[in-house]
Amino acid sequence: MNSFAHWLSTTSPSHAFRVHESWLIPGVQSIHIVGIAVIMGSLFMILLRILGWAGTDQTLRQTTDRFAPWIFGALGLQLVTGIVMIVAEPVRELINFSFWAKMVFVAIGTTLAAIFLYGFPNREQQWDRFVNRRTFKSLAIVTFVIFLCIIVLGRLIAYDHIWGSWSPARQEF
Amino acid sequence: MPIDAFLKSIEATNFATTVRDSIWMFPIIESIHVMSFTLVVGTIAVIDLRLLGVASVQRAVQRMTQDILKWTWGAFALTVLTGLMMFTTNARVYYHNPFFRTKMILLVFAGLNMAAFEFTAGRTVHIWGSGPSVPRAGKAVAAVSLVLWISIIFMGRIIGFTTHPGAVAPPTPGVNYDNFLAPPPGSSNGNGGGNGAPNQPAPAPPKQ
Repeated sequence: MNSFAHWLSTTSPSHAFRVHESWLIPGVQSIHIVGIAVIMGSLFMILLRILGWAGTDQTLRQTTDRFAPWIFGALGLQLVTGIVMIVAEPVRELINFSFWAKMVFVAIGTTLAAIFLYGFPNREQQWDRFVNRRTFKSLAIVTFVIFLCIIVLGRLIAYDHIWGSWSPARQEF
Repeated sequence: MPIDAFLKSIEATNFATTVRDSIWMFPIIESIHVMSFTLVVGTIAVIDLRLLGVASVQRAVQRMTQDILKWTWGAFALTVLTGLMMFTTNARVYYHNPFFRTKMILLVFAGLNMAAFEFTAGRTVHIWGSGPSVPRAGKAVAAVSLVLWISIIFMGRIIGFTTHPGAVAPPTPGVNYDNFLAPPPGSSNGNGGGNGAPNQPAPAPPKQ
């Protein structure tokens, strides 16, 4: 991974991104944050609906139909902006404990969200059977918390030294 | 300048000193700031997009604002609190940072924009709120709101590239943790950035 990251940093796209880094990197990061805001807002609306705290004039199915495309659309945006940031600064991102921990949480969180939004049979009765179960509500909360952890780990990429000896950045160079 | 003396006294408080001297406190406060404002912006966007006719057009506007805005305000309060916490750690630097100032002005605009809604389309929401069509003033407020909040995110992000909060660990000599790709100290153009942390360690209080 070390040599890959260093190789990537010598490629021309990486170089091109860094030439314009004074505005490009904060700009792409800002788009990445707008993307996570869309995801969090949408997940939050679904969570509140599942818990029965908001949106109860809508069925759960109507709520997920409303927000699921925004969640997965924004996840696509996150992938694209994320790749740009990796190519621009491969060593900072890839030689980083927070980054890889974040990727694990992204994999788990995306899978859970996909199961929630697409995995259940698309029948209202099925939803209604699940919706009042405590495990269903707990799973919704867990999914939301995983996305909160993704935000924290994403921010901690910039502060990887707080992990101490877990941070490969310390051994780098 | 008297304001600088005041800001300096904020930086000297126990709280600010503790956060500054801690390796993990500033990053955690910043993470909570990000978590809460994603909810602020995300929930505001739900309502803005309704007003613009992009999504949720079949739902009554009043019902949505009643459901959502209390959470928005709760998240906003947490965002302000964590923002103030970060501000205390390096008050003078933030105060004089042009992007920080722009962000504060944009926040005021966002508030005025909300007030504008209350005085225009908001007054008649009971008439039009249940239907899909929204008065032009309501749409304008929603569009301005989206632009303002996205701009606020950008300003917030770029503050991290242009300030030195002094809240990071002292780097090991010879290792630039903030930008591994930067040329070694002493050579020109070491200012890469690429994260929210200061590019260089602040003229920080000596640690440990």
